[in-house]
Amino acid sequence: MSFPGYNDSVLSLLIFGPLLAAALAMFLRSDNLLRGWTLVSTSALAVFSLPLYWRFDPSTADFQFEVNLPWIPVLKIHYALGIDGISLLLVLLTTLIMPLCVLASWRYINTRVKEFMICLLIMESAMVGVFCALDFILFFVFWEAMLIPMALLIGIWGGPRKVYAALKFFIYTMAGSVFLLVAIIALFIKVGSFSIPEIMGHSQSFSLNFQRWIFLAFFISFAIKVPMFPFHTWLPAAHVEAPTAGSVLLASILLKMGTYGFLRFSLPMTPDATLFFTPYILWLSVAAILYGGLTALAQTDLKKLVAYSSVAHMGFATLGIFALNKAGLEGAVLVMINHGITTGALFIVVGIIYERLHTRELAQTAGMGKHMPVFATFAGVFALSSLAFPGTNSFIGEFLVLAGGFEVSRSLMIFVVPGVVLAAAYMLRMLQKIAYGGTANPDHSRVPDLGLREIVTLAPLLVFVFWIGLHPEPFTRVMHASVQNVIQQTQGRAAPAAPAVAVLP
Amino acid sequence: MNTLLLSHELLVLALGLLVLLADLWLPRGLRRHLGYAAAAGLAGILLFSFLAIRVAPGEVQYAFFEMYALDGLALFFKRFSLLAALMVLLMSVEFAESMPTGVSEYYALTLFALLGMLLASSANDFALLFVSLELITITFYVLASFHRSRMTSLEAGVKYLIIGALSTGFTVYGIALVYGLTGKLNFNELAAVSSSLGGNRLFLFGMVLILAGLGFKIAAVPFQIWAPDVYQGAPVPTTAFLAVGSKAAGFVLLLRVLFVAVPEVSFQWGSLLIVLSAITILYGNLCAIPQRNLKRLLGYSSIAHAGYLLLGIAALSRDGQSAVLYYLGGYLFTLLGAFTVLCLVMRQVESEDIASLAGLGQRSPLLAATLTLAMVSLAGLPPLAGFVGKFLLLKSVIAQAPAQPGYYGLAFVAIAGVVISLYYYFGVIRAIYWSRTAPDLSPIQPSAPIRAALYACIAGMFYLGLFPGTLVNLTEEVVKVLR
Repeated sequence: MSFPGYNDSVLSLLIFGPLLAAALAMFLRSDNLLRGWTLVSTSALAVFSLPLYWRFDPSTADFQFEVNLPWIPVLKIHYALGIDGISLLLVLLTTLIMPLCVLASWRYINTRVKEFMICLLIMESAMVGVFCALDFILFFVFWEAMLIPMALLIGIWGGPRKVYAALKFFIYTMAGSVFLLVAIIALFIKVGSFSIPEIMGHSQSFSLNFQRWIFLAFFISFAIKVPMFPFHTWLPAAHVEAPTAGSVLLASILLKMGTYGFLRFSLPMTPDATLFFTPYILWLSVAAILYGGLTALAQTDLKKLVAYSSVAHMGFATLGIFALNKAGLEGAVLVMINHGITTGALFIVVGIIYERLHTRELAQTAGMGKHMPVFATFAGVFALSSLAFPGTNSFIGEFLVLAGGFEVSRSLMIFVVPGVVLAAAYMLRMLQKIAYGGTANPDHSRVPDLGLREIVTLAPLLVFVFWIGLHPEPFTRVMHASVQNVIQQTQGRAAPAAPAVAVLP
Repeated sequence: MNTLLLSHELLVLALGLLVLLADLWLPRGLRRHLGYAAAAGLAGILLFSFLAIRVAPGEVQYAFFEMYALDGLALFFKRFSLLAALMVLLMSVEFAESMPTGVSEYYALTLFALLGMLLASSANDFALLFVSLELITITFYVLASFHRSRMTSLEAGVKYLIIGALSTGFTVYGIALVYGLTGKLNFNELAAVSSSLGGNRLFLFGMVLILAGLGFKIAAVPFQIWAPDVYQGAPVPTTAFLAVGSKAAGFVLLLRVLFVAVPEVSFQWGSLLIVLSAITILYGNLCAIPQRNLKRLLGYSSIAHAGYLLLGIAALSRDGQSAVLYYLGGYLFTLLGAFTVLCLVMRQVESEDIASLAGLGQRSPLLAATLTLAMVSLAGLPPLAGFVGKFLLLKSVIAQAPAQPGYYGLAFVAIAGVVISLYYYFGVIRAIYWSRTAPDLSPIQPSAPIRAALYACIAGMFYLGLFPGTLVNLTEEVVKVLR
């Protein structure tokens, strides 16, 4: 599916397509029609986004599919879009996960279906926009535009403490983003442009002191979004209260924006400050891995368990990024993608349990798998993937991150290893309970196994788990040049190029 | 002298007198609708202003021996005040039902307050500054206590009167000191001598007193004490006009005094303005948190917004000045939208508590959407007008920071204020959509003119948020008359 002019219009269409679909959705009356329309439009966009992959030229780190039009000339603000190898994967992840979100909320959302679908579509536009924007103000507008629909998703369709969770999510992320705004303005005043590539090009001229302040402002904003320990407290609240689709979007896409911010802005724009702060951030990442793992181990609420495991996984992502070498960075990008797939799937699994049992208590779910073989298979694979079992996607990502981390500091890695063991512990504990339980399980014999819709929701994610796990080359191929470019921008003058390491394909 | 220079003022004066006269002959039942006629008159004047009045960029035309100046800046504020008054009048018609008597006087007084604002936009002389200021303040004494049967309204009027009189005293004393030292009242003449007086303590003292008087008008700390009580007690249209029109008049006078009359002195006052702005932002935002009365909450939030506007003044640059104008432009649509909704909701629910918004989402989706958007815009989130305004203000402040690190601190305080404000703005939105108990679910049907005004406010918020180019160009053009 492509047509002449595809390269020039694809990104704009991916951003404005969902908005258009949302506008049309306003006129639909029946709930099922709305669900169908949203599914069709998000699927069409997903299909439409696929040629991006083939048309993308992986040999260069330049931005591709670029669009650059003046938006507010008097303020030098442009409507500038473009993607490189890193954002390509994230854009595709976003467009592909959207139809699954619609499917996952097919039966779960019964009230205000129209508003729900409109919120989802607006989210899609903003999320794709964040990954494509090459103008800082445009980026910021998309970044903020996500807040309100997401807060609404949590606040209207959420659980019992939804308003508290929505407010906490909203204030936390907004607090971070005002710092981002100040950093953007300070950079504009220094460089005289909001263009992201242009600011990257000027990074060599920034003094260390200036870089440190900018880095800190970026850091607060992105660390809250990731979320890094100790900025993570909004995450469990938001995840627990959000509806399934909200949790999936939050885990799969929104958290990635923090790490994407580090990769796209912190590293290339403030290289010296990055080197200065790296040791501290590496330790924070290790803290996140251990803290997330230990806390997840203690949870009895399934959603909280998965939420805390997210903190740990994102710890791996930041660890890889700030290892500042090829293995680490590529691992980090893969961890981002994998976490999107696996954790998204786990939240759908939890949603399926909740729809059937109306509880997420681990004890109540004990032994479900005995009566639901198909469900147990899916849950098993995703749990194994989450603990980075060899042959699944997460193994590749975490292995690369660990390899990158060992290059940087062995003493640090000694603390990470228990984190890997913890992941196995909490995931196997969950899996054991759900699939087998103990001797006195609640009676689940009447609980129906997965229906066709649910299988269709989970199957694509399952395919990706094994695809990335067994043959990651198609995914790493597109990011080599971009990652190399980030390393060069960061370490360009501070240190000689890192020694070549044996890296997986 | 060219009478066209004073055409806005003369037309508004004539309109006000006409309203008073019409009151004599109109039957009682029709008087309420006089507001529509007055609003239509203002729309006509606005149209006339856009069609007939032109000022070349940078050009200043004077009247009354340079007391009265008509330039781009004056024209900007005149049109701004006309638009504000127009919407306030529409609001007043809705509000008139609850007013026992004197509806026409209410309209006429609103027009006279507007006249004061129009004069203030052009004041180029301390005498005219004082007269216009008094015209605004004295009409507002009456407007604030118009609800004669309500204790809070009378209290509002008295508070405004006492503190207003005090601040007038400050202003006059300051003007007297400045006049005594220089023998000049005209801003242009003062500008010629002010550079040599920068070190004269008596002169500075006089200027500080004048600033105190203006600080009262814009409700900046430490002259903010009246704002919450008056906002709470006054009738809703008065509050709206006070928050938008009176504040804008204070800012145009502040701009003229600081950047036309005594620019050399102002440029030494960076630190003072930084401190004032920072304290005002923090005070307004922190005090707004525990408020349950919606009008009082907006009173505190208006103090906070005075602080944000002072950011642009404290920046002491062209960018800062034009950002102030832009922010006011966005503020007009945002705040008037919010107050129009309040006016409609509070007419039916006697209480002014935030809880009275419960169920508004079902009672009237339009009102709920307007109020929500207004809160989001006040909080400064894209893509609404408030965001671009705050962005421009922050940009002007940070641009000054390399020379004076204090500006970084100010920017930090400003963003801290934004974060704090999210909490209470969100509280309003929460009351609209998420209240568990809604006592009254009867639908609210706004009248056609009000609906049009609300749509205009929403369109204004989005337009200024998405396509700021036109207004930014205009504001950058008009501030060229300032130093």
